[in-house]
Amino acid sequence: MKTWSARWLTQNRGFAGAILLFLALYITYNFMHPRGFSTAVLVQNSNESVAIAFVAMAQTIPVLMGGLDLSVGAVMTLTSCIASELVNGSPAQMLLGMFLTLLSGAAFGAMNGVIVVYGRIQPIIATLATGAIAIGLALLVRPKPGGDVDGDLNWALTNTVWDFVDTYGGNPDAGWLAPFANIPVPLIILFGVPLLVWLPFRRSVTGRTIYAIGSAEGAAYMSGLPINRAKIAAFTLAGFFAACGGLYLAIQTSSGNADTVQAGTYTLNSIAAVVLGGTALMGGIGGAIGSLVGALILRVISFYFRILDIDPLLQPLIEGVVLLIAVSFGAFRTLRVKNRLELFR
Amino acid sequence: MTTKLKLTVAAAAMMLASTAAWAGPEVVSGPGADPGCFAPWDESTTYFQWPAKEGPYRVAVVNGFVGNTWRIQMIKTAKAFSEDPAIKDKIKEFKVVSTGTDAPAQLGAIEDFINQGYDAIVTIAVSPDGFDRVIRLADRSNVVLVPFDNVLDTDKVMQINENQLEMGRMYGNWVVDQLAAQGKTSGKILEVRGLAGNSVDRDRSIGINEVLDARDGPWERVSVVGNWDDGTAQKVVADAIAVHGHFDAIAAQGGTTGVVQAMLDSGHPMVPIAGEAENGYRKLLAAHSGDGLKGISIGQSPGLVAIAMKAAISALEGNVMPQLIAVPLPVATYDQLEDGVNYWTDLPDNFFTVNEFPPCGVNITGPAIMAQDESDVN
Repeated sequence: MKTWSARWLTQNRGFAGAILLFLALYITYNFMHPRGFSTAVLVQNSNESVAIAFVAMAQTIPVLMGGLDLSVGAVMTLTSCIASELVNGSPAQMLLGMFLTLLSGAAFGAMNGVIVVYGRIQPIIATLATGAIAIGLALLVRPKPGGDVDGDLNWALTNTVWDFVDTYGGNPDAGWLAPFANIPVPLIILFGVPLLVWLPFRRSVTGRTIYAIGSAEGAAYMSGLPINRAKIAAFTLAGFFAACGGLYLAIQTSSGNADTVQAGTYTLNSIAAVVLGGTALMGGIGGAIGSLVGALILRVISFYFRILDIDPLLQPLIEGVVLLIAVSFGAFRTLRVKNRLELFR
Repeated sequence: MTTKLKLTVAAAAMMLASTAAWAGPEVVSGPGADPGCFAPWDESTTYFQWPAKEGPYRVAVVNGFVGNTWRIQMIKTAKAFSEDPAIKDKIKEFKVVSTGTDAPAQLGAIEDFINQGYDAIVTIAVSPDGFDRVIRLADRSNVVLVPFDNVLDTDKVMQINENQLEMGRMYGNWVVDQLAAQGKTSGKILEVRGLAGNSVDRDRSIGINEVLDARDGPWERVSVVGNWDDGTAQKVVADAIAVHGHFDAIAAQGGTTGVVQAMLDSGHPMVPIAGEAENGYRKLLAAHSGDGLKGISIGQSPGLVAIAMKAAISALEGNVMPQLIAVPLPVATYDQLEDGVNYWTDLPDNFFTVNEFPPCGVNITGPAIMAQDESDVN
């Protein structure tokens, strides 16, 4: 006889741990920051977290099937370059540009899925190759860094709701707006997209099939689940989330930059964020929201270097050690198992 | 707790309201302070003046990528210079962070230091674009933001650099001159490029190709990407030599030690070369110039960070400053090399030989910095 909350906790131990770790780290950071708990700090922190959080969510979905997508960072870079060409002009043109950016990311993801399913190639190898293709396309679209994403859009989407309304000619001091005025727009985007896209998807047959593939692909196949459809859908959704990250990155920087190194960094960090967020690399357990929190943890660790006095050349080392400790929390359950066979679950 | 939260939110809102009027530097007419050190880029360079602030100041360095010798030497120079008697009393707090090659993280770090109330932020931008938001925020709080090395494509901030386009042109002119001396007016030239997507790589490459387009020719060009890294450059040059057999000259943006090493390993004849200021490259030039490795070495100095810090403090004191500050190019040709003066046989290959700028009072030599251990620099 378990209560509802106790059952949720046993099923989402990694996720719950990630949330606790994030809250502990972030609240401490705010106490130490001279302007902690202010809107300005929250806006700044959420801005720098959006792109990596979306890429981490993109990575989650192939990982849930027991695969890795090494192209997510590259797709983010490609779509940010596309957005830097398309997102300007009249509001309608900008919206069309955003739509085309997201569409191109999803299409690229779908291509990954088709290659994996019908080419019967391991995801990690297939996406290693397509990631290089994405970078190549990004360099074609934008051989030199630049582009002119609308300046107002940049300001409106990287600030609070107050500034958003103010930029687009509304009355930012309207009474009905007061409760929301200080919420950063990037936070709304960051939580809004997964709520609207990921949660409904997870409940669908295709979504649940992804979990089933990660747990036991053979059993899922024998049960008549739509395996191929689910795999293609998983990579398509990964491409879509990576494109969300790319679109935001382009708007945030008002430009595009086919930065190969940055693409690689984002791919690797996305894997770290997925693990931090409680998703098992073997597949079958976890979810995109966990990875979102994982990405936030990754970011908060680096926030500390700005308020503490740490030798700059030691910072990467300390970041790595903290990351290792954080990831090790997930291994604590192995200390409590009564039967060693449980480890293989 | 909640009251503190509300108070800070209210304070932040008030700050937003009261500083909504555009602050930031005023565009004034020159000349600027200390022109020997802060030389304007060209005649069209405008001048900035910030309202003078009381010192001592809080200064932060926001680096991007870390992990090559140049950046490590740069960080060590920054720390050593912050302890320099000429500047020590003017700095209250000094912090260095490296964000990695990650634009949002770098923008966030800059914004964080603005929020923390720092007076000046010196940065190597990870991308030549995309800083509009932090520039706006810095101006609003009268924070002096100084990009150097990889600068921004904007004239709204004070920036410091060596003229990369000019450096590229000098690379190009050098190889064409050397080939002309051999009686060659056309041939095949290998260009070794730097990190893609970077303004320095772009400008140096434009400079090299501009000269090759304009002078003599036709020059057949082969371009490989060496990422300014000895290992990568050595590999790609070895590949290029294997494929193309022979080049008449090489123009390398960086990783030059690796480039020459690849030539030696493959038995490629020693040809005219243009390259960076790595100690290893200069050692090889000194050793092989007699065999035909007639090279020029022009370097981007890690000491730029010290000039950027000095410029930031000068701006905070209310001095008139050029918007774009040009630091003279440190050039050495193969016949000017002297052991212990502009290269060091007893020091590792991968540190950068040019570090000091006497007109600016930046007198920390590369070897002096690399010789110190961590604890002394701290």
